[in-house]
Amino acid sequence: MKPTFFDANLCFGRPIRTVYQPAKTAADLQRVMAHAGIAKGLVWHVAQRDYAASDGNRLLAKALAGRKNMYGCWVILPPQTDEIITPDFFRRMQRNRIMALRAFPDYHRYLLNRVVFGKFLDEVTERRIPLLLSLEKSSVTWPVVYQILAEFPNLTCILCDIGIWNSDRFTWPLLETYPNVFLETSLLSLEDGGIEETVARYGAERLLFGSNFPERYPEGAMLAIQHAAIPTADKKKIASANLEGLIQGAQL
Amino acid sequence: MKKTTDLKKAFFARGRVPDCPIYDLHGHMGPSYGLHINRETAAQADTVLKRVGIRLLVFCHHAALMAPDIGNAANIKAVRAFPDRLRAYCGINPNYPDQVKKDVATFDRYTDVYVGFKLLADYHAIPITDPRNEPAWALAEARALPVLLHTWGNSVYDGQTVIRKVAERYTQAKILLGHSCHSCWDEAIQLVKDFPNVYLELCAVMDERGILERFVGELGSERIIFGTDYPWFSHHYYIGTVLGAVISDDDCRNIFYRNAEKILGGVFNAKSLTAK
Repeated sequence: MKPTFFDANLCFGRPIRTVYQPAKTAADLQRVMAHAGIAKGLVWHVAQRDYAASDGNRLLAKALAGRKNMYGCWVILPPQTDEIITPDFFRRMQRNRIMALRAFPDYHRYLLNRVVFGKFLDEVTERRIPLLLSLEKSSVTWPVVYQILAEFPNLTCILCDIGIWNSDRFTWPLLETYPNVFLETSLLSLEDGGIEETVARYGAERLLFGSNFPERYPEGAMLAIQHAAIPTADKKKIASANLEGLIQGAQL
Repeated sequence: MKKTTDLKKAFFARGRVPDCPIYDLHGHMGPSYGLHINRETAAQADTVLKRVGIRLLVFCHHAALMAPDIGNAANIKAVRAFPDRLRAYCGINPNYPDQVKKDVATFDRYTDVYVGFKLLADYHAIPITDPRNEPAWALAEARALPVLLHTWGNSVYDGQTVIRKVAERYTQAKILLGHSCHSCWDEAIQLVKDFPNVYLELCAVMDERGILERFVGELGSERIIFGTDYPWFSHHYYIGTVLGAVISDDDCRNIFYRNAEKILGGVFNAKSLTAK
């Protein structure tokens, strides 16, 4: 049984430092997805991080127009500077098929906490809009993840690229404490038994398939899920159903 | 992008392909300080290897590398409990030279266990060229045994400069570059070009798309071996990455089993393993 894959962790655009054969455009990324067997993607443009969140968000929105198997993530900055978060922010998200957010606090030089994002993240929490935080892409460190979840315990938070070395000592306490925390699986599936043990303890509902393309080969994470020692129904949840549910549940 | 190949289709369809066995020449066992290991025991390893279709895992127990008070006894116990799918590298920690001498002197008592040696120089903080490693190198050289090195680019302990020195000194030992001198890919390629007894191993290499394609493009696939650092990492994940690389099915087969069978051929007949 080959599950339908909905990838939570896809990026396109040419980064400031080269990677091997990136998808330069959204159309290129669609071809990569079709080749690998990935049906849908929650994507971002690397210029949102490397260049500027504002122009990057616009590039992403423009690239997604008419691409029905892709949803976007906008990158946020502190509301006080008015660079990204404006009164019509959520309406613009809806208009542009932007269903989730990403943040790169270290790289973009701000603090991700209640002082900076209080009212905004309260509304994001209320609207059940997922916030994706990467532990690898110059995004966040574990203490920041722990702090933001302590301050916004009901936030829908997807932890991506959770680390090359097994991260159970970091992730399992979060899964135990915060019901709206999810793990993206590109590096969880790298761990021997990572998928199986996490499912056994916290349920398949907490995992979302991701490939981390273009840094990684999608086939690694896909083969690991397709042949994980878990029930077929759980594979379907991880491969696509859980992310479909989060996207549908977001209120924009 | 390469065309979806028969081998890729077969692995995705069934998870394992009987006519394409896998030899993992870079494994470990037991708990480790810096991470939670889901499957620590030899019994768990045997179950996983059987399920995934790994014909042989050659490993060095973490205790043999990190706990001198336990040492290679952990390797011996694990292999003897599950001899159909496990062999070990005799772990060498040159911080304890007397123990090194003893382990090398008793190597022949455990021909059913060992296929060669493992050095973890970055962790032991002693270069692979250090005389305290010499007893292991000497035996490996005399018998053309595999020596699996943890290697990392620019490391003074196991980077390209000291690898070159041992490769010049030991021309018969089969020098397996665990992690392929990670990040110094051009230097790793040059080492293979310069020394016929040097091989590249893929654990952590597959973290970066495109490196395997570079290796195969410059060297062919006959000097590249499959390894995962199991139980750190998942076999299916690593198999999937090799299948996802833009290389031929023939290259994948070389990497998955043909090259390993040649390397191990001088030590024991891996094809004679009875496990299915």
